[in-house]
Amino acid sequence: MSIMNVIRKYIRIWKQLSSLAIGSYWSNRIDSAAYLAGKVFRFGFFLLMIISLFSFTDELAGYSKYEVVLFFLTFNLIDVLSQALFRGIYAFRGDIQRGNFDFVLSKPVNPLFYSLSRLTDILDILFLAPIILLIIYVMGKLPSLPGPTQVLLYVALVLAGMVIILGIHILSASITIWKIESENFIWLYREAMTIGRFPPEVYSPTIRALFTFIVPVIIAVAFPVKAVLHTLDWRWILFAMVYAAGFLGFSLLVWKASLKAYSSASS
Amino acid sequence: MRVPGAAKYRVIFTIGWQRELEYRFNFYLGRLRNIIVMLLLYFVWMSLTSKSGRFAGYAQTELITYVFGINILRALTFGAQSRQVAGDINDGLFSAYLIMPVNHLLRTFMGELAQRSLYAVTALAEVLLFAFLLKVDLMIQRDVAILAVFMVSVVLAMTLYFLLSYSVSLLAFWSREAMGPRFLFDWVLEFASGAYFPLDILAPVLFTILGLLPFASIIYLPMQIYLGRADLQAALRGMALQVAWISFFVPVVLWIWKRGLRRYTGEGM
Repeated sequence: MSIMNVIRKYIRIWKQLSSLAIGSYWSNRIDSAAYLAGKVFRFGFFLLMIISLFSFTDELAGYSKYEVVLFFLTFNLIDVLSQALFRGIYAFRGDIQRGNFDFVLSKPVNPLFYSLSRLTDILDILFLAPIILLIIYVMGKLPSLPGPTQVLLYVALVLAGMVIILGIHILSASITIWKIESENFIWLYREAMTIGRFPPEVYSPTIRALFTFIVPVIIAVAFPVKAVLHTLDWRWILFAMVYAAGFLGFSLLVWKASLKAYSSASS
Repeated sequence: MRVPGAAKYRVIFTIGWQRELEYRFNFYLGRLRNIIVMLLLYFVWMSLTSKSGRFAGYAQTELITYVFGINILRALTFGAQSRQVAGDINDGLFSAYLIMPVNHLLRTFMGELAQRSLYAVTALAEVLLFAFLLKVDLMIQRDVAILAVFMVSVVLAMTLYFLLSYSVSLLAFWSREAMGPRFLFDWVLEFASGAYFPLDILAPVLFTILGLLPFASIIYLPMQIYLGRADLQAALRGMALQVAWISFFVPVVLWIWKRGLRRYTGEGM
């Protein structure tokens, strides 16, 4: 099968899985509405917190109000995108625990793709539109208006960030195969991601190094904003691209090793 | 004084501890999540207070004590057992509790108390460790009267949280879709209780509205008492509000329980 045919096949599968997810969300309307309200509330709550902080100060770690808001919005963009696309990871532990992963392995589809994308979070996809609109609005409010190059770099670095987040999700799935009780690992990642709500300069150099090189949340979330604000050297941009590719490659190797260690729970 | 049936609730408490410690890896990861939240807030407040040593009327020491204090208070008040009740009702697992010779509310409370006490001990150790590592200047309250009032307000906060959380979970009697409303409740609680920042940094109108809701009595009030920012009169007024909310929610919970039980169908049986 040619590459194009493979891509077409997986797009078809993703569409099918997404339409099933829409059906599920639609049949649980109260739940879905409450979840969406909760997400909007959480988003509004942190935005309100940042705006409230700026009623007492003009800067946070050297950044103005709209710059800090852009960090927060970019964190949300990447978080919501990963929630929308890789939501299946939250059901992965159950599959391993009950032995249902055996059925996934027997399907004519890549088990990693299926496990990550089996549950598209439609609510998060809905939530993407206002976030993107707010990002455009806030970029227009920055002290120095970003040019086309900055915007392109922003998009490229957001994509690199998504590759890193995909790698983290793959590592989480791999750890779950080895250590079945690692339910909190993916939640630990979610908390680690929240580091990206604020500019990295807020944290100590040790924390910054940890979340740049070991748990690369800062590369994923803060680098795109720093590129827009002209505070990211081209060497760091190159580093982010190479790191994202390397991190994904490493996570795929770990996934392969974990598959070899998989012993079905039901057999 | 011996309370009839107290022994079985002691057993529930002990089992609660054992259950928490059974999956230790998960337990440690869970605590690590809380440490990340604590450190995130610590660095944000440190950055904001680094120039003048003050922010929004708070001294740096007060704000950092607030951040470290909420790590312990969250562990003490925000339990997960009452949250699990909604899932149990929806999945039919709740049927098993109905045939047990225990009061469901007390059973859930004791299970949650076990979890909270374990988390609180761990949270205290985390605070001491990071205060040492980061060379944090914490405000240690030495006024015995303030400490006594603070402790009473924490006990009232724990009770109030439990009643709120339990009543929201009981909505599962009416709908299979109870987890969404729980998610919404959890975030309203996080925000409106002051579990991320002192509520009085918000605009006065918003602060006044939040002050009228029960949530502010769960984290914000006890922390204000501990920091000595609420004088005795304000503390007593706040605690009177806590008692008023508890008095309101006890009959509400019992009413929901009674009505809900009639609707329970034992899904999956």
